[in-house]
Amino acid sequence: MTSSECPNDESPMHHALRSFVIRISTFVFLTHPLCALGHGAEFLSAKLTLRPDAEVLLEITADFGGNPLISDEAVAREALTDPVRLSAEGTLVALSDVAAPSISQHQNWAEFAPASYLPPDTEGQEHRLITAAWRWRSETPEIVFEVPKGKLHDVLLWTRDETRPDAPPRWMLLLAGDKSKAISVHWTPWWRRWQTVMASSFLVLALGYFVSRNFTLRQRTL
Amino acid sequence: MNNRILSLLSVMALSGSAAAEVAYELVPNFITPPPGKETIGNGHGEIGVDSAGKIYVSVQDKDAGIQVYGTDGKFIKALPLPPSLHGFVVRKDDGGEFIFAAVLGEQKVIKCDLEGKVLMTIPTTEFPADKVGKGLKLTNCDVAPNGDIYVVDGYGQSHIFVFSREGKFKAVFGGPGEPLKLANAHKIFIDRRFEPARVMICDRGHKRMLHTDLAGTFIGEIATEMRNPSSASFHGDLMCVAEIAGNVSVWDKENKRVADLGTSPKPTNTPGIEPKDWQQGIVTSPHGITFDNDGNILETEWNKWGRVLRWNVKK
Repeated sequence: MTSSECPNDESPMHHALRSFVIRISTFVFLTHPLCALGHGAEFLSAKLTLRPDAEVLLEITADFGGNPLISDEAVAREALTDPVRLSAEGTLVALSDVAAPSISQHQNWAEFAPASYLPPDTEGQEHRLITAAWRWRSETPEIVFEVPKGKLHDVLLWTRDETRPDAPPRWMLLLAGDKSKAISVHWTPWWRRWQTVMASSFLVLALGYFVSRNFTLRQRTL
Repeated sequence: MNNRILSLLSVMALSGSAAAEVAYELVPNFITPPPGKETIGNGHGEIGVDSAGKIYVSVQDKDAGIQVYGTDGKFIKALPLPPSLHGFVVRKDDGGEFIFAAVLGEQKVIKCDLEGKVLMTIPTTEFPADKVGKGLKLTNCDVAPNGDIYVVDGYGQSHIFVFSREGKFKAVFGGPGEPLKLANAHKIFIDRRFEPARVMICDRGHKRMLHTDLAGTFIGEIATEMRNPSSASFHGDLMCVAEIAGNVSVWDKENKRVADLGTSPKPTNTPGIEPKDWQQGIVTSPHGITFDNDGNILETEWNKWGRVLRWNVKK
């Protein structure tokens, strides 16, 4: 580098550093629009995991980096307050009435949307995701979700059965006013639970009987 | 959902009575992709037809630009244009025929001739700074009878900007606030079926279409509870609409739905449906649409492999 390339009051090192920063800034500026091609997920992704013994985990994710309907984090949080409801005997039950949500922020789309629904160009696109998770034990053998009329956000409901990890997830897109098909949970009927309780009780009693009997016999032998 | 299916079925039943006026039939495998390609390429754009009947399809692959097809659907050439032409129209204006396009990835609007030579650019700096926000995400544009160019920031704040024929800023309306309260106004079109012409807005977030006058004053809703209207085109008194959640619909001038085409059994909105899962005549995620000069319908989809469907009007 010749001195003529540097301003008089700037050392060559400073000049090189400044030049580097300008180049990096220019690169970022030029490439940013390409990264912001938009049209990511225009829905809330609702991942439903069915677990043994009627346990249900519903994780709903909002993208405030790629969803044109969600401009910032506050809008994303608002969208997650009441995105979908449980439909039971003609009434709609808010998720907050069945469980308190836990909220987390991350950038991991792949785990929260089915592969065919992943937004394209994910490598160059910034996703800012918020997930609200509700966990509860279903009191009914089937659950139905409904997106109330007038809701702005579509909901992509995809279901994973934890007891069948190799089965492909099933998905359905619910628009405002749509109701999901009935989804069967791993529900244990009451009589089965009673059967289990009775069998366990019987085993305990039988075990107790044999222990006490052996103890008594041993006492007599002594 | 059930209501929507019922209403679609009702419309399909009713369309029997309207069939004498408007009915369509699928033309299977109409498009022949460019040589060496199985499909046309990453689709997230628009489709248009010029006065000679040539078909223009924007494709997002590198160096793809706009692909041009003949009236028989055979590939002719690709115009050297940016890869992110999310929305464009082919319009006659000021003695010529031009492509007006919103370049989503570069936050600008271009006007070019039918060979792809760029004649004018409306850069980001020409937009009012207070409406640019975190960056424009321009999704479509159209031209009014007086030459004014209307541009929508559909993936941004849904503002609609008006520029003169020379590309000078004139006005802005719409956006998320009152009175229109737009959300993801995906594409806008100048509806010349009416005199004076109107602005037709695909307010996709609200699943509705609406009209304003050319100054942005609300006229009325055309339809609500749609499958996310994404694009539209006009022919005579008819309007066809690409609904990205899985439907193509046709509407008359009185805002009556007169046909549904390719309806997906369940709503969808994804670019990830692979060619092996395509079903003949069933749409995946319609994103762009046009009538040709004879009233036939061509539709392009939001699909990573690229897909075009065609329905011919029954005469």
